[in-house]
Amino acid sequence: MKLYDKIDLHMHTVISDGTDTPEELLPLVKEAGLDVFSVTDHDSVKGSQIIPPLLKEGDPVFISGVEFSCKDEEGKYHILGYAYDPEASSIRQLMEKGHTFRMNKLAGRMQRLTEEFGFVFPKKDLDELFAMDNPGKPHIGNLMVRLGFAESKDQAIREFIDKVNWKSEYLRPEEAIRGILDAGGVPVLAHPSYGSGDELILGEEMDERLKKLISFGIQGVEAYYSGFTQRLRLENLAFAEKYNLYVTAGSDYHGKNKIVVLGDTDLPAQEERAEGFKRFLARVLPEK
Amino acid sequence: MEEKNLVIKLVGRIDSNNAADVERDIISQVTEPKETVLVLDADALEYISSAGLRVILHLKKICKDLKITNVKSEVYEILDMTGFTEMMSVEKAYRLVDVTGCEEIGRGANGTIYRIDQDNVVKVYNNADALDDIQHEREVAKLALILGIPTAISYDVVKIGESYGSVFELLDAKPFSKIIAEEPERLDWCVSEYVEMLKKIHSTLVPANKLPDMRETVISWAKFMQDYLPEEAGKKLLSMVEAIPQDNHMIHGDYHTKNLMLQNDEVLLIDMDTLAVGNPIFEFASIYNAFIGFSELDNNIIKEFQGFDFETGKTFWHRVLEVYLGTHSETKIREVANKARIIGYTRLIRRSIRRNGLESEEGRKEIEHWTKELLELLNCIDTLTFTPYELEIVAVKENLPEVQAFVQEHLERDDCPLKAQMQIDLAVEEIFINIASYAYTPQRGKASVRVMVSDDPVTVTLTFVDHGIPYDPLEKDDPDVTLSAEERQIGGLGIFMTKQVMDDIAYEYKDGENILTLKKNL
Repeated sequence: MKLYDKIDLHMHTVISDGTDTPEELLPLVKEAGLDVFSVTDHDSVKGSQIIPPLLKEGDPVFISGVEFSCKDEEGKYHILGYAYDPEASSIRQLMEKGHTFRMNKLAGRMQRLTEEFGFVFPKKDLDELFAMDNPGKPHIGNLMVRLGFAESKDQAIREFIDKVNWKSEYLRPEEAIRGILDAGGVPVLAHPSYGSGDELILGEEMDERLKKLISFGIQGVEAYYSGFTQRLRLENLAFAEKYNLYVTAGSDYHGKNKIVVLGDTDLPAQEERAEGFKRFLARVLPEK
Repeated sequence: MEEKNLVIKLVGRIDSNNAADVERDIISQVTEPKETVLVLDADALEYISSAGLRVILHLKKICKDLKITNVKSEVYEILDMTGFTEMMSVEKAYRLVDVTGCEEIGRGANGTIYRIDQDNVVKVYNNADALDDIQHEREVAKLALILGIPTAISYDVVKIGESYGSVFELLDAKPFSKIIAEEPERLDWCVSEYVEMLKKIHSTLVPANKLPDMRETVISWAKFMQDYLPEEAGKKLLSMVEAIPQDNHMIHGDYHTKNLMLQNDEVLLIDMDTLAVGNPIFEFASIYNAFIGFSELDNNIIKEFQGFDFETGKTFWHRVLEVYLGTHSETKIREVANKARIIGYTRLIRRSIRRNGLESEEGRKEIEHWTKELLELLNCIDTLTFTPYELEIVAVKENLPEVQAFVQEHLERDDCPLKAQMQIDLAVEEIFINIASYAYTPQRGKASVRVMVSDDPVTVTLTFVDHGIPYDPLEKDDPDVTLSAEERQIGGLGIFMTKQVMDDIAYEYKDGENILTLKKNL
């Protein structure tokens, strides 16, 4: 098998909350010297439909990807899906459901912002917002700054957007995992120690969480992650070994929205890579 | 390229809402990341979520180095759990502690120990900028613990006014000084525990370069003294210190009764910052100073310091030497004490001079006193090392009982039968009287006797050394014991008897010394 040195399986485009279009991302991927990459927008498989036709002979290997935001009674989860069939109905249904939830959440938020603080958003701006694939807090914040409601996006989020209560709906983890599996894909828990991105879940608690997700069919953990220290990486690798899970590597690049360098995954040299990672590559890479 | 420290204050919370902004803000201030050591002052940081951790990780990746200072305990816990404390320097913010009115329970060379509550004590360092000292003490205390020396290790660093302190857990601990002062009937018990711990320290081998070498320190004292002693005496002092062999066994360096604690029937050492390696004589020098040296002119000093009086201190010192050396021989005890005093006075004089002692009348008085004592000792002592099993004594008949007692003390063990002890006693008498009678006549000189008991098989080896006229007692023919008492030659019989009871006798004349070695297998 060909040796793949640089691999980054976790990045976002404007389809969700990144700042590069898929067309803009591609040259950056090449510049970063990646051999294998995947685009994992939140609740959207569009990237996996747009990218393959853009690829030419000699370009990095692309693996279809997605990152679903999920929640159940015990917490929130980001679940990555890899190497699924983007045309499969199960994955399209998940995407639509996720999108509907997100739009409901947006509608609810905008309504509450008007009710509680009296902000009136021009229809043109609202239409633009709702036409986005994946509008979230930063998008609303930017709009509020533009409209002069807040000094900064940060202030808008802190003082207004986070203050309004809106009960959002989420995909359930078992639902997302099932959908990915049904589309022939591999479900993987993103940045496990950081929960849905801003928590800290370690030790016992992580073990319980994994046991449950494994019972739903999760197959891997993103142990090589740009935001992990050595200790967190080792803990996740240990879990992968304990439960015989795949291991993936991702930077969580968001363009200008997060200062994460594309390709920064702390993936070690070939010989030091976890078995679970090698098995994952063997599972998802097209045979040649 | 020059390295630059850039200090940036972190304020409030850093979480997913503002992490990107915080990061952008910091990065905008870092103009040359590769040459910048970023110091994040977390004094006002209340909370950091994983989004914030990612910012720190990223900054660490792009800058030359990154440190976080003044970290509150809640934030420190997060950084510790996630392994950030392993990959960068993270300094905790220091809790403020007030020791006003707290009981002083110990005092060492570098600080004073107070009890702050029932379970905890704090050591307040004298030195205002003591963070390095605290770090050093923590490291050596850990090392001591690993090597099997029971000690308390600090778990927190605090601020006390302008000074720093380290906090230890110390439950119901009572310093030995207090036991001696309050329960004089337990003095012997204290001596025995004190010596047991001392021997444990001195038998602990320390891996190379882990602790300072006391020999180097004392050589520097002796060099300092060259300007303050007559030339000959100064030279002798330095050469004697230099002749002490390098030794990798541990010494405590400030081993007095305030630094030894009794905690739940367990004996525990504190104040480990003076830990070093070296010959035990260095230890005895500091012990001498603690109990006698410092208080020699003003006998009240020890009372203030240890809580018991000067006479008790003197008794304690004497008893400690007795038990440590395993002998009641005054000659032996005096020998070790005098050697310790040479180093002890050297230290006291230097200390006083460096504290401008020569500029005050009081200072001049003590320097004069110690110098007089030191010069007298330098006049009559030629080496600073000692061996517990060797007694050097003036070779006169009157000293025989002391020599015999000294040898017996080393034979008092289960595997040395009484009969053998008596036979050896007889041999000691014969040989010592022989030396006393002939070696130096008509002058007087010294002899030394060394007792070695080796195991497996148990063998006693006695070595007698004198500097008298060359004389091989074995050369003489054995006397004809068949002759009647009147017909026999005077002398010779003693050696004959000695040969009978010992298994091996050898004589050697070397470097002006008569060396007679006797062995007995038990």
